[in-house]
Amino acid sequence: MEGAADSDTPVPERSAADRAAALARLLHRDCTRLLELYKEREDFLSQHAPGGERLVTLALCPEAPSTAEQVGHVRSALRRCMELLECLIVREVEEMGEELQGEYESLRKTVKDRLGHLLHSTGALLENGEGGCPPSPPMQCIQGQDEVEASDSFAAKIWTYKVLLELIHWTDSASQTLHVFHTEKHGQQQQQQLL
Amino acid sequence: METVAVKTDPVTGLHSWTWHSPLPLECTSHSAHIRARNQQSVSQWSPLQTIPGWDIPEKSESNMFPQDKVVPVGSNMTFCCIVKEKEDFKEIMYGRQEMSATRLSRRTYAITATNQPVSGNTGTNVICCSQRLTLTGAVVFVGYPPGDEGLVCETRDLASAECSWKKGRDTGLRMRRSRTKYTLNGRDCLEANERKRWWCSSKAWEQSWTLVARNPLGTVHLMDSAQLTDRVHLLAPVNVTAVEVKAWSATLQWSWSVAAYKKLEMVCQLQLFAHELNSTRNYSGPGLSSVVLESLWPDVDYTVTLYCGSKHGFWKWGDKSAPYRIHTKMDRPDALDVWMWMDSSNTGCVFWKPLSVRKSHGALVGYEVSQSSAEEDGWTPVSLPPGNFSYPIILNNGSDITVAVAARNPAGLSQPSTVTTPAYRADSQLSMSELLSTNGSFVLSWQPNANASSGYAVEWVPTGCSGLCPVDWKKVPESDSSFTLNSDSLVAGVRYTVSVYALSTGAPTLLQRWQGYSQEMTPSQSVRELLPNQSGSDVLLSWKATAMENQRGFIRGYTIYLANAAHLELIANISDPEVQSYRVKGLSLSSYKFVVKAYTSAGEDAGATVAIKMEMDTADMLFVGILVPLGIMFCCLILISICCYKKREWVKKAFYPEIPGPKVPGDWSSPQGPLDVKPSPHSLVHIVESPEWDFTKEGLFPVPEEEEESENDNIEVDADSDEPALLRYYNQVVGDGSHGNQVSDSSGSSNTSVDSTQTEITYAGIQSPTSSQGACGGGGYRPQMQSVIGPAEPQIEFEADFQDDGLHAGYKPQCSWQLDSPEAENFSGSLGSPTSVTSSQFLIPESSEEKPQPSNTWFHNFLSGKS
Repeated sequence: MEGAADSDTPVPERSAADRAAALARLLHRDCTRLLELYKEREDFLSQHAPGGERLVTLALCPEAPSTAEQVGHVRSALRRCMELLECLIVREVEEMGEELQGEYESLRKTVKDRLGHLLHSTGALLENGEGGCPPSPPMQCIQGQDEVEASDSFAAKIWTYKVLLELIHWTDSASQTLHVFHTEKHGQQQQQQLL
Repeated sequence: METVAVKTDPVTGLHSWTWHSPLPLECTSHSAHIRARNQQSVSQWSPLQTIPGWDIPEKSESNMFPQDKVVPVGSNMTFCCIVKEKEDFKEIMYGRQEMSATRLSRRTYAITATNQPVSGNTGTNVICCSQRLTLTGAVVFVGYPPGDEGLVCETRDLASAECSWKKGRDTGLRMRRSRTKYTLNGRDCLEANERKRWWCSSKAWEQSWTLVARNPLGTVHLMDSAQLTDRVHLLAPVNVTAVEVKAWSATLQWSWSVAAYKKLEMVCQLQLFAHELNSTRNYSGPGLSSVVLESLWPDVDYTVTLYCGSKHGFWKWGDKSAPYRIHTKMDRPDALDVWMWMDSSNTGCVFWKPLSVRKSHGALVGYEVSQSSAEEDGWTPVSLPPGNFSYPIILNNGSDITVAVAARNPAGLSQPSTVTTPAYRADSQLSMSELLSTNGSFVLSWQPNANASSGYAVEWVPTGCSGLCPVDWKKVPESDSSFTLNSDSLVAGVRYTVSVYALSTGAPTLLQRWQGYSQEMTPSQSVRELLPNQSGSDVLLSWKATAMENQRGFIRGYTIYLANAAHLELIANISDPEVQSYRVKGLSLSSYKFVVKAYTSAGEDAGATVAIKMEMDTADMLFVGILVPLGIMFCCLILISICCYKKREWVKKAFYPEIPGPKVPGDWSSPQGPLDVKPSPHSLVHIVESPEWDFTKEGLFPVPEEEEESENDNIEVDADSDEPALLRYYNQVVGDGSHGNQVSDSSGSSNTSVDSTQTEITYAGIQSPTSSQGACGGGGYRPQMQSVIGPAEPQIEFEADFQDDGLHAGYKPQCSWQLDSPEAENFSGSLGSPTSVTSSQFLIPESSEEKPQPSNTWFHNFLSGKS
């Protein structure tokens, strides 16, 4: 568990990669909870999982041999997730207004804020902007509605569900990749100190 | 097929007819052709026109129709699902309800939802599923048309308008596309459309207003019309301040945020909030912005709120101003209510009541007490702290003292209140009447007194109180001659002395005094010193009443109970409380427990208990214990004497029988020696100890002569025994002559024989011993000897003697004498016969049988009445 340390032992200064990995793990839990709340509202999602294409893929991106490049790729995907989430929020507010302020709406805002922090953190980790591959397919918020094949309410609900799934997937990938990145960085620093 | 009448459009010359399908046209392909009919003539069918559905092969994806429909609650609706090519169909769900689907075409399935309930926030989902996953779906929004009502328009600034209404029933439609849209007089109502407030504003006042509320399910029109001056709703005053605050008044100022208010004739209302001093005051005037608040109380925190309205055509009160706090200044306290209470002829106390907030006019810092008397000039002031409410007074020489008391606060000193010492009257000096309460209160009335120029004072104090007593009083105007002393001033179960004084310029004059309880209770303690005093078979119970503070009511009497094991038995009810004793009569000798309870009108106390054990009286004991036995004994002696007198012949015969002359051959007429005048042989026979003698009794044994006297004395006391009487008689008869023969036990018999030589000679060899006489059967002669070893050994001793005597088998005269012998009755025939001096055999037996005769023959005769 991040941040959990024995109070008697001195806490070493956590690296930026470690903090980003911890933030990604926290965000992953938030996204998972957000999907649970959405399923409580739209209970058909719990009974019959909708099919369809992924919203965010890195299929067109080149292979990333280094961990730093993998971090770059994940960050690109997270950036796309951020765009999808912002679009989602705009659409829901537009449709439902701001009257509804339940746990779902509150956590939705928290995920957006933490995802912004994670994008900022991972951007700072990449010195030369490694892995700047834009994910596919490209999207705009209005086009996003087209991607779910219809602009009706039901299609919007399916699209929201898919966005939340992408968030869960890419925050999980980010936490794992950042953990590896942190481990490698830590090993290199120890080798340099030994030398 | 359907036949309809269609008119030609006058403008275009075309015919048009609309058909509403219950099933969405996208669900499957629909075809139509038309022909004209004019009376009996019918045209040819037009070419078939087909509207292709979405289930045609060119559209291979899954779809559901209709999408995002908004329908009213309770309506029916048909949904169709077009299944993707090469995909199977499983079911259609309406919300959580699995519906029965109808197949319309190769790929199209339909359901009909009836009586649809209101949807949730995001609509009702209709899902079409295959075996694996969700194929497609639709959302339907089920709700109500607008329910808004009560449009009211008013002005806040005397120019513009604000219209508001009640929202009414929730439509259940929250999606933007299905929300209610509002227009006021044709203009969009932005505030309401953004769902922020249910009102609309208009920059200019219009005479009439129309609000249209519309959603996909319906439209509502709300109307209102009014003059501007009749709909003035003023804004709240601002900048409220108190410009001049005094002890009893303050001036309040405020301003208006709308300049047009300055010319408006308005009415304003001020609400003053203070502790128990709340009030509302109205003020009016054009453009009112300042008022003077009169009748305030000094040193009080007031909170003021202010709101105004249009005076002409008043519509409603305007908004309230923010609360504003005013603290009035202090003023001198009011005069104190002073009273003086005398607890003796020369001591008393001045009391005054604490001033309320309304009367103190500021926190008191103390009291000043001054007193003056006729002997002293001027006043002697004393300052007391604010917590004091009394001051002791001592009359040095019995002259009246006038005391003045004043209260001081930071604003100054109050007017002094004076009181003169009233004359002391002890309760015992007055004939006080009992005061009965009414619902816990005392209703007092008295004769008006001409001297009561300053009214009356009603004083009440716990009866018998001394020292620091809770004296209370109330001053009554001169015009009144009655007063009700409420129960909240009194304590239940406490006796109060209530006095009425006439007040004048001098000392108060006592008019009347009562005593009473506001509420009587049962005594808290039982009677004291309950004592029983036995007098013969009576018990006198006496007690004392409990102390007054424990009585808690007028003692109405006492009840006396006899306490049994399980309950109390009422034996007396003394209704006179002055009677404090009771005599319980006719008690037998036993233990008793009495309970005495005092009772008031509220009931009895717990009771005091006393126990007594009845004992016999000394005189009775003397009578029963001594005189009665003596009397009985005396009577017995008299009876015996009478009997003896009446039977004197028999007695003489029994105790002094005629001794027949011996029947012997030869001439015995001339005695050869002096006649041995031995006593009656009965006595000698009695002296012989019977072997069946009661061993528990002291046996008879020969005793020295000097002991004989005392022995005889003891015998006399033993009245229960018959034998000692015989012994006594023997001793009397025998006299001293026989005593000298009883010196030795072994030779006693021979000595006796020596003394009665004649008898011994007479009967030797004539009488044979009776061998069958029980323990004495085989014994020889045994003189009147008795073992003195102990009561448990006589038999053994006797046996030993018997063994010895066996050697001298022969004449054994006394062995046959058995008082308790079973054969005793057989001797009755020989009773009264003279017997030998030394033999138990009757000398002249009446029976042929020679059996031993008991020595108590005379006694039997006595009992049988024979003489």
